[in-house]
Amino acid sequence: MLSRAASSLFWMARYLERAETQARLLDVSLTMALIDVPEDREEQLSVPLLVTGTREVFDELYNDITPQNLIDFLVLDDRHPASVFSVIRSARDNALHVRGNLSADVWESINLAWMELKELRHTGVTESNASRVFDWTRERSHVFRGAAYGTLLRNDAFHFLRLGTFIERADTTARVLDIRHHMATKSLEGHPTQSFFEWTALLHSLAAFEAYQHTYGHNIEPMNVAELLILKPDVPRSLRACLQEIASLLEQIESGDARRARRLASSLYANIHYGDREYIEERGLHEYLTDFLDRIQRISGQIQKDYMGWKQ
Amino acid sequence: MVMLIQTPPEGIYDELFDEDNRVRPSCRMLEDWLIKSDEDLLAEKRREADVLFQRLGITFNVYGEDQGADRLIPFDLIPRVISASDWQRMQAGLRQRVQALNRFLFDIYHDFDIIRAGVINAEQVFANPQYQPGMQNLKLPRNLYSHIAGIDLIRHNDGDFYVLEDNLRCPSGVSYMLENRRMMMRLFPELFAQAPVAPVEHYPALLGETLRAASLKPNPTVVVLTPGRFNSAYFEHAFLARQMGIELVEGADLFIRQNKVFMKTTIGPQQVDVIYRRIDDDFLDPLAGNPDSMLGVPGLYAAYRSGNVVLANAMGTGVADDKSIYPYVPDMIRFYLGEEPILKNVPTWQCRKPRDLQYVLDHLPELVVKETQGAGGYGMLIGPKASKKELSHFRTLLKARPDNYIAQPTLSLSTCPTFVDEGVAPRHLDLRPFVLSGKKVQMVPGGLTRVALKAGSLVVNSSQGGGTKDTWVLEGDAC
Repeated sequence: MLSRAASSLFWMARYLERAETQARLLDVSLTMALIDVPEDREEQLSVPLLVTGTREVFDELYNDITPQNLIDFLVLDDRHPASVFSVIRSARDNALHVRGNLSADVWESINLAWMELKELRHTGVTESNASRVFDWTRERSHVFRGAAYGTLLRNDAFHFLRLGTFIERADTTARVLDIRHHMATKSLEGHPTQSFFEWTALLHSLAAFEAYQHTYGHNIEPMNVAELLILKPDVPRSLRACLQEIASLLEQIESGDARRARRLASSLYANIHYGDREYIEERGLHEYLTDFLDRIQRISGQIQKDYMGWKQ
Repeated sequence: MVMLIQTPPEGIYDELFDEDNRVRPSCRMLEDWLIKSDEDLLAEKRREADVLFQRLGITFNVYGEDQGADRLIPFDLIPRVISASDWQRMQAGLRQRVQALNRFLFDIYHDFDIIRAGVINAEQVFANPQYQPGMQNLKLPRNLYSHIAGIDLIRHNDGDFYVLEDNLRCPSGVSYMLENRRMMMRLFPELFAQAPVAPVEHYPALLGETLRAASLKPNPTVVVLTPGRFNSAYFEHAFLARQMGIELVEGADLFIRQNKVFMKTTIGPQQVDVIYRRIDDDFLDPLAGNPDSMLGVPGLYAAYRSGNVVLANAMGTGVADDKSIYPYVPDMIRFYLGEEPILKNVPTWQCRKPRDLQYVLDHLPELVVKETQGAGGYGMLIGPKASKKELSHFRTLLKARPDNYIAQPTLSLSTCPTFVDEGVAPRHLDLRPFVLSGKKVQMVPGGLTRVALKAGSLVVNSSQGGGTKDTWVLEGDAC
C-alpha cells in the first residue's frame, strides 16, 4: 500500500485513541477534584496536562487552573494540538487523506464525529454538561473501532490503523500509570482515606477498575495495580496486551527488507512477556516506565522510517 | 392531500407533461407518486438527504472552515425520466460521436487527413492552445485518447436531444450520478419496486475495465491521480478509487526512475502502468507544463513519451472539446465513420468568420455568446437576459477578439418538475452521460442530470447554484 496512506491511517487511529484518552483523563480529574482535599485539587486537575505534556501551553493561555478552564482548554480550544477538538480535526484530516482506503462506515464514523464536534463548539461545554461530552467522545471512539473492526478488509491498511491505536494506547497507559501511581502512593502516606479514591482514579483513567476487582478483589494494593496494567495479557490497556498486538501486527504487515521496527517491538514484547513484578519492583516503577516510554517511542519512529519514510 | 404540480410555460418541452399538459407515458408512475406525496413529506425527505450527504462528506470542500457546514450541491428528489427508446437512440449517438472524436484526436497527432481533406483548416487545430505538439506520432494503446468522455446534452423544444458540449479532458460528476441513485433508493425504496429503472451501479466496474484495457499489459497496475483533498472533486476521486479497489495517489506519491513511474509503497517502489489522472495537462509535470505545479510528477511527461505509462485521458485531448472545434464534430462523424450524425449539434456561428461575426453582431439580443475556451458557465452572454450595457460590452469584446467567441441561438432547455420553495414547479435541465472507451465503447444507462433551481434560469452549473437529480432510464417506454 501507499506509504502516505499507511502514515495517515496510523495517525488517524492514534488521534482517535487520543481523543478517548483525553475524555477519560478529564472525566476522572474533574470527579477527583470534587472529592479531593482542597490543597490537592490543583494537582488533580493538572494530571491531564501532565499526561499530554501541555502544562506550559495551558499556563500561557489561562490564568489559573479551574475545572472550567481545564474543560475549555482540553475540549474545544483549537489553539493547541492536544484538545479533543484539535485531535478529532487531525483525525479527520488524515481520514480525508486516505478516504480511498476507508470503508464508508469508517469514514462516516469519523466525519460524523467532526460534524457533531463543530455543533458542540456552538453550544459550548460547561461543568454541567461535561460528562455528557466525555461520554460522547468515548462513544465516538467505540463506534470508530467497531466500524473499523466490522467493515475493513484485513489487509495492511487495517494493520497500520491498528498499530496506531496500540502504539498510542501503550504510550498513554505508561504515562498515566507513572503519574497517577506516584500520586496515589503519596496519598497513602498523607491522606490514607483519600488513597482509595486515588487508586480508583488511576484504574478508571485506563478503564481497568472492573478488571482489577475481578482479578484481585476489593483491596487495592500498589504493586497489584502496576502488575495489572503492565503484565496482565487480558487487560485491554495493559502494556503487555498492547505490545502483543503491536508485535503481531508488525509480523503480519508485508515488509520488504524492513525488519528493524519488528525487531524492536518483538524484543520489548519479550521483555514484558517474560517479566515479573519482582523485576519491576527492583527496577523501580518510575524507572521501568521511563525506559518503556523511550522504547515505545523508538518503535513508533522506526515504524515510520521502515514503511512510511520516503525522503529522497 | 393532493399535490399540485405546476405545468410548464408554453413552447417549452417538459419531461413530464406533453404539449397538451397530459402526462407522458414514461412518467405516469412518477406523476402518480408525486400527486400522492405532500410537501411536508418531500421537505422531510430532503432534510434527510441533506444530512446523509453531509455524513458521506459529498460536499464542496471549503477548507479551513471549522464553523458551519461544508457546502452541498443541492439534490432534487424528483427524478428525471428517459424512455428506453430515447436512450437507445442517445446511446447510439454518443458511441458514434465519441468514436469520431477519438479518431479525430489520433488524426491530428498523426496523419492530418482531415486537414488535408479541407474539412478543418490547419490553423484552427495547430494554433489552438490546447494542441500538444509533443503528442505528435506518439503511439497510444488502441489509439485511444479520451477514455472517459462526458457529453453534455439538452432537449430542445422540438423534443430532440442536442449536444451542447463535449468534455474530453477530466469530466467530473459521475459520483453524483451514483450517489443520487443510492440516495433515491434509500429514501424511496417503494418507487424502485414499481418502476423498471435501469441500473447504473456497475459504472465503477466498467471504468476499471476501461482503465485496464488502456494498457496492453496483461495485469496493469492502475491508480487514480488526484490533486488532493483541497480539490472540489476530491470526494469523487476517492470514491472511484475505493469502488475500483485501486490506490488513490497524489503527485508526491509517485516518482520517475529510468522513465518509468513508481509509487512509494510500504514495501518499496511499485511500478504504475495506467494513471487515471484527474489533473489538467498543464499541471501533470512541472518539467513540461506549469513549472510551479506542486500537483504533478517531475519527469512524468518523458515517461509518458517513452510509452512506459498510459494516461487516461491522454494529453492534448482538450483541442477536440474546444468550442471552436465543436461545430466540426458532425463533419468528423461523416469523415471518419461515413455515417450521418445521430445526435444534433446546436447551430453555431463562428465569430472568427467575418460573415458569422456580422450576423452575431446584428442579432446579439437573441443569441448566447460563449468563449471558445470557457467552461463552468463563466464568461458567457445570454442575449435575451442581458442589459444594454452588457450587450455593448460584448460587442466590443467580439470586435476585438472575434476568434475567441462562438454564438448559438438561445436554446430552450427542457424542463422537469422540481421541488422548490414554490412547490413542485418546472425547472430547466441538461444531461451528462459518461462514455467509456476501452476494448469497446460502453456506458451505463443514464448520466448526471443538472438542474437550474431558479425559475426560468438556463444555467445548470453547480458553481452557479445549480442542483442535480437522479436520472432514470426506463427499461421500457411506459410505466
